[in-house]
Amino acid sequence: MLYNQPPDRQQKFSLWRKGLVIVLCCGIGLWAWAAFSQQPVTLSLLMTTPDAQPWKQGLIADFEQQHPHIRLNLLEGPNSADLVENLYTSSFILGDSPYDLVNMDVVWTSKFAAAGWLRDLSSQITSAETAAFSPRDIDAGRYEGKLYRIPIRSDLGMLYYREDLIKAAGLKPPTTFAETIAIAQTLKKAGKIDWGYVWQGRQYEGLVAMFAEVLQGFGGFWVKPNTLEVGLDRPETLKAIAFLHDTIKMGVSPPGVTTYQEEEARRLFQGGRVAFMRSWPYAWPKGNESDSPIKGKFAIKAMVGSPGNSGGACLGGWGLGIATSSQHPKEAWEVIKYFTSEAVQRKLILEAGYVPSRKALFTDPQIVAKYPHYPKLLEVSKNAVLRPPIAQYAQVSDILQRYLSSAITDRLSPDRAMQAAANETRQLLGRGVKG
Amino acid sequence: MTTRSIRNRGASMPEHRDKITGWLLSLPALLLLILVFAYPIGRALWLSLFTRNLGTKLEPIFSGLDNYVRMMGDGRFWQSCWTTTVFTSISVCLELLLGLGIALVLNRSFRGRNLVRTIAILPWALPTALIGLAWTWIFNDQFGVVNDILLRLGLIKTGINWLGEPTLAMVSVIFADIWKTTSFISILLLAGLQSISSDLYEAHAIDGATPWQSFRQITLPLLMPQILIALLFRFAQAFGIFDLITVMTGGGPGGATEVVSLYVYATLMRYLDFGYGAALVVVTFLLLIAAVAIAAFLLSKSRIQTSG
Repeated sequence: MLYNQPPDRQQKFSLWRKGLVIVLCCGIGLWAWAAFSQQPVTLSLLMTTPDAQPWKQGLIADFEQQHPHIRLNLLEGPNSADLVENLYTSSFILGDSPYDLVNMDVVWTSKFAAAGWLRDLSSQITSAETAAFSPRDIDAGRYEGKLYRIPIRSDLGMLYYREDLIKAAGLKPPTTFAETIAIAQTLKKAGKIDWGYVWQGRQYEGLVAMFAEVLQGFGGFWVKPNTLEVGLDRPETLKAIAFLHDTIKMGVSPPGVTTYQEEEARRLFQGGRVAFMRSWPYAWPKGNESDSPIKGKFAIKAMVGSPGNSGGACLGGWGLGIATSSQHPKEAWEVIKYFTSEAVQRKLILEAGYVPSRKALFTDPQIVAKYPHYPKLLEVSKNAVLRPPIAQYAQVSDILQRYLSSAITDRLSPDRAMQAAANETRQLLGRGVKG
Repeated sequence: MTTRSIRNRGASMPEHRDKITGWLLSLPALLLLILVFAYPIGRALWLSLFTRNLGTKLEPIFSGLDNYVRMMGDGRFWQSCWTTTVFTSISVCLELLLGLGIALVLNRSFRGRNLVRTIAILPWALPTALIGLAWTWIFNDQFGVVNDILLRLGLIKTGINWLGEPTLAMVSVIFADIWKTTSFISILLLAGLQSISSDLYEAHAIDGATPWQSFRQITLPLLMPQILIALLFRFAQAFGIFDLITVMTGGGPGGATEVVSLYVYATLMRYLDFGYGAALVVVTFLLLIAAVAIAAFLLSKSRIQTSG
């Protein structure tokens, strides 16, 4: 008996242990089940590395805190927007895309929508809500009447001018193309500047963005999105080319302007010996850096026009859409709602100097305190002009780029170049419709 | 009789077995080649018989040879083919001449030769996109070094618009390409030069040959295999040039420097016109094969002549 006791105790003990194990197992199972059912949904989004930086400054953490069931996986892609477009394109073509959300440049939206890669967002947002955005920014997200993209930030082409030189010469900032050339020539004669006007003349997307503004300023048009009417061989287009051509011929623009992108133009303008520049808002903070020779000496205004026509401001910018292949459109919409909200946009703008897509933010006291020129930008944004939001935009743009570049570098006469560009564009759009 | 037949069988059996082993050993490599070459080309050929673009909502619709008919009338394609040919032939020829010169210099022994050899290969080791960016600024009309030097020397009065004139843009792009890849050719040729025994030159010199004669009768014929390899390599590479031109001119001005690969890229990745893009790929591939075959044929003929 004496010997029996210990085994008995052992048995009791082991029974107790068994029970504990069972309870523990059940507990773990229950907990795992509960945890699994609440497992947060992970959404993926790709953007250029510089664009991703302000998002990572607490915004994603804040979003995830407000939406504990959603995790946002922000992938930092290459710096160049073209390469990010390639990554999106190839992932969608191959199917099984890892991206739930799509961060889009204005000019991709129609193509992506036409390819069936984006979800229609029209039913998600009321017209009262869209009314808070700049109308052109919303238009840029529409394709065939449906809304595919909600704008996060805008971008606008405009005229930079040397306020100090123009004031000192007793002149007023120009409002027309002719005045711009005249002022440039006056200042050049006085030896104040080396060059009058720099713009983007290289054969690339920036060339047609710049040209869309001049075209608007002469009352012309490129392609009408609804009727697919092509306006490239109309007299207004030839007037627009004549203006660009004149700037080079008259020595107002350097001959090499036909090889410039944004940075070449900005460096020349920032060097202090140029009166006017066409560029995007990013040049403002750069020109006002402490070591800039033109710090505080320049101002911005809407692109000039011609008598009877106000100039245009080419619309750029980025917005979010939801991929058709995403398993979690509801959660993705939460992300869009958060990042396009006024409060978050304000934070993004203060952090990164973006141009608002919401009208109210241009005159927001906090933002104006940091960027005093933003109310001016609101004026510029009223003249916003869209590059044609059509599915074949990339081709249409390439046709114009090639022929416009030929025309301003004297490879072809403007007349013949635009005739050919118009014909090719019509042929392309005709083919597209037949499908 | 029996011994002979056994010996016969013994001789043929290993031969047969050798053949099988040979095939078996090269099978993995062959499979790899089929996988990375034959399959994509075959698939492109198949895809080129369909219309698949935004107009068809990216659904493939069989259209026979429509894409090829469209290509016949596509001036942009033939223009880019011509541009590619001009770019390739001029840059490869100049690279070969310069590369040979550099290789001959590097083959001599002089102080600091190893250092110079290392420096000579540097341009080739740098990423092309970076080189393109650097040359874009070097050829800039206002800030560019080239114009600055020419102005200082008094050779020109106003800055030349290098990348803005069709011919000059081509010259600039070719110049940048030569700068980058000449060292590749010179390293290849240098390896060939070092395998030529110096005894040959000594014997030739004793026979009373001048250095020029030695170069023509010994160096060139014995270097021919390396020259051939270098040419084929560079030819195929230059025919597919993409990054340098994308960065320097983007195909401009007015499409003057647009090469085939730029056009194919735009058609596939930006226009999403897959059927037509595939047709472009197939035709470009055939043109490249034909060009390489002709070049190799001509070179092998000239090699027989020089060595024979």
